[in-house]
Amino acid sequence: MIELIHLTKRYGHTLAVYDLSVSVDAGEVFGFLGPNGAGKTTTIRMMMGLLQPTSGTVRLAGHDLATDAINAKRLCGFVPDRPHVYEKLTGGEFLDFVAGLYDVPATVAAPRRDELLELFDLQDWSAELIESYSHGMKQRLVMAAALIHAPRLLIVDEPMVGLDPRGARLLKRTLRQLAHTGVSVFMSTHSLEVAEETCDRIGIIMQGKLVALGTVEELRRQAGERSNARLEEIFLRLTGGEDVAELLTALRA
Amino acid sequence: MLGHDSVESRNAVAPAARSDGAPAEGRARSRLGRPTVSPPTRALVAAPLQLRMLLSPRFRAVRNRVQRLDRKGRWQLGLLGLLGVAFWTAIFIFFYRALNYFLSVPDFGPVLTYKLLGMVFLTFFSILLFSNIITSLSTFFLSAELDRVVAAPLPRSVFFYARLGDTIIESSWMVVAFAVPAFLAYGVAHGAGPVFYLVTILTLPPFLVIPATLGVACTAVLVNVFPARRTRDILVLLSVVAVAVLYMFFRMLQPEQLVNPEAFATFVQFLAAMQTPSSPLLPSTWAAEVLHPVLNGRRGDALFHFALLVSTAAALTVLCEMLLQRTFLPGWSKAQEGRKARFTRQPAWERVLRFITLPFAAQSRLLVIKEVKTFFRDTSQWSQLILLLALVVVYLYNFSVLPLAGGAVVTFYFKNVIAFLNLALAGFVIASVSVRFVLPSISLEGRSFWIAKTAPLPLRRLFWSKFWVGVVPILVLGEILVIATNSYLNVLPAMKWLSSITLGCMTFSIVALGLAVGAAYPKFDADNAAKVAAGVGGLVYMILCMSFIGAVVVLEAWPVYALFMSRLRDTTLTSWAQVSIAASLGSALLLTVGVFVASVRYGIRRLETLEP
Repeated sequence: MIELIHLTKRYGHTLAVYDLSVSVDAGEVFGFLGPNGAGKTTTIRMMMGLLQPTSGTVRLAGHDLATDAINAKRLCGFVPDRPHVYEKLTGGEFLDFVAGLYDVPATVAAPRRDELLELFDLQDWSAELIESYSHGMKQRLVMAAALIHAPRLLIVDEPMVGLDPRGARLLKRTLRQLAHTGVSVFMSTHSLEVAEETCDRIGIIMQGKLVALGTVEELRRQAGERSNARLEEIFLRLTGGEDVAELLTALRA
Repeated sequence: MLGHDSVESRNAVAPAARSDGAPAEGRARSRLGRPTVSPPTRALVAAPLQLRMLLSPRFRAVRNRVQRLDRKGRWQLGLLGLLGVAFWTAIFIFFYRALNYFLSVPDFGPVLTYKLLGMVFLTFFSILLFSNIITSLSTFFLSAELDRVVAAPLPRSVFFYARLGDTIIESSWMVVAFAVPAFLAYGVAHGAGPVFYLVTILTLPPFLVIPATLGVACTAVLVNVFPARRTRDILVLLSVVAVAVLYMFFRMLQPEQLVNPEAFATFVQFLAAMQTPSSPLLPSTWAAEVLHPVLNGRRGDALFHFALLVSTAAALTVLCEMLLQRTFLPGWSKAQEGRKARFTRQPAWERVLRFITLPFAAQSRLLVIKEVKTFFRDTSQWSQLILLLALVVVYLYNFSVLPLAGGAVVTFYFKNVIAFLNLALAGFVIASVSVRFVLPSISLEGRSFWIAKTAPLPLRRLFWSKFWVGVVPILVLGEILVIATNSYLNVLPAMKWLSSITLGCMTFSIVALGLAVGAAYPKFDADNAAKVAAGVGGLVYMILCMSFIGAVVVLEAWPVYALFMSRLRDTTLTSWAQVSIAASLGSALLLTVGVFVASVRYGIRRLETLEP
């Protein structure tokens, strides 16, 4: 469903993403992990047509993003890392607007909007201007907007930032449920716990290159960790955790 | 934080300030940012240091921006500096000439200059008061960094003085920039010595503090009555109305009579009779009273009025701080309250909008409705329409006071020449309106641009929806300007048609050009349209528009001249004249269409490649 083929992005002399090849199947939740500045957001922005790749191909549900962007995007839902939305619209209006952009008929969009508002606990706020929403509420609204057209693919960038524990649990459950219905989810996250709980497979990116790919069990083997090792330990081993270790020591001091 | 008196002596180093790298103590810190200074040392850190730290981000930001300027940025800064110097010089020359003119009037001269000085101070005072109310809403209640500053263990007085300092700098710098050449002109015109300049420098600070404290106090009361965001909307609206009324009032005074010697006698009487700043209770009067005796070397109570200024500023500062101590926290809490949607809640409004947009494709319709809704929900946007209305009124009024007296031929000649020049003027008005409303519309998508980019939306639809939202009202405005003025002037029917059609076509090109330049110079981080219009994109756009309008007017000059002369001489046009007229008009049309097509193509391509 999602195919990244030899994807590369260069900013001047800086190589942000190099020769990245990943594919995600229908009904699979794929976790994309990596330290800050590893190239996660750049990859996701290329997948959504927000950045032009230097080379390589992005194929979404069989549609090449470079040549058939409209059809590729039609099947895709996107949740960015920061929930910037039209502040002068109300939450309800925003969902109607997004539904319209994805050609969802009004008769289908209205009940779905109400359903999503209720699911993300925003029904009491639907007539309020978005400028009065908290960060977490905006995050939930963007998540609702990404689902309003019942996408076949969902691309999510750092979804847990700013969510309270309840919101985070709701999101994890929603992602799993979506996968059960055949939706492919590509999610970048910093939260190893979320990745461990939610993802079927995980890719770890370091300095723009994919350094590990597989299930948690496969990653454990790749890292040479013991069988009960947590993803945090595997991640630190694979990404080189000197700076993290130093931080932890300093914090404990 | 205000209301947390007890913590002030124990927590002298504010986290908010520490993050900026405090000079002495801030340097001594662990790698994780914990200061290593001992508590007794920290207690010694006095309030002035905290105040300096709180004010430092403003100056550091300016310094960092200047230090990090690339070549393009340095050019832009240089250009801006040149424009500033030109503006400054223009103010100086205006005041210098006006003062010399007044001083040349026997007996009346000094009275007039004194009246003018009082008017200048009164104007500054009114502007400062209003601008301080609006600025302090941001600095005390709405700024993004307030969360951190309010949460910091700061003494209440430090918070107050730091924010007051910010308010004064932000609201007064422009008035000071305007005042310097004006006062310099006063000094030069009167041949004043260095004492005058020294006294001016000493007078300005207390004069700036008084409206600032009054403004902050006013804001503190208003915010406790209305939520802060609502207050800002009301104030923005009021300020726009005030500017519009002032603008119209000033125009109706017919200031051009100043340069008309015949009218001067009556103007002198008028000015002398005006009961301007004579109230002894106004700080602007005190400031004028401080400068006036020094200026003329005349007797006066400069010291008394200076003392009045300083003591009032000090007293108001203390009173304002006391008021803020009581009212800040409740007001700040209210400022966090949200707002319900207005305007589009009414089904009638929504229905009208849906009906108007019926001819559009579904996605374009959505985008148009979104544009209109967001425009009318943003007070800083729709309130500009009031200024626009004032502009139209003054524009039409200007034509009603044109001195068109003379013989029939002269009048006929003048009227048609003016009607033709009016085409360029109206084009300029259209460009000015576009630079404020059309050019920023791409940038105003802001950080939400990802929504359109990731949706299955051909970006040409976004371009066209913004185009139609811009072109319809601007076309109506432009046609009103030309049709009304041409009807008033009663020009040749051919001239009427030519003006209307040319302006109509130009409007399409000017609006499309606005979107193209807007897409070429996007400022997705700008929080309001005025900032985008004031940027490099605005300058480039105005230069392109002026060149385009100028070229069209030049191309149409020959056809207009030929038609006009044939009418004047009552002759028919030769076939050569007809061909050349057609060629000129054809070239103008070709240019207009060319600009339109090129702008649309470039704008859409640019939107497609923009990476938000």
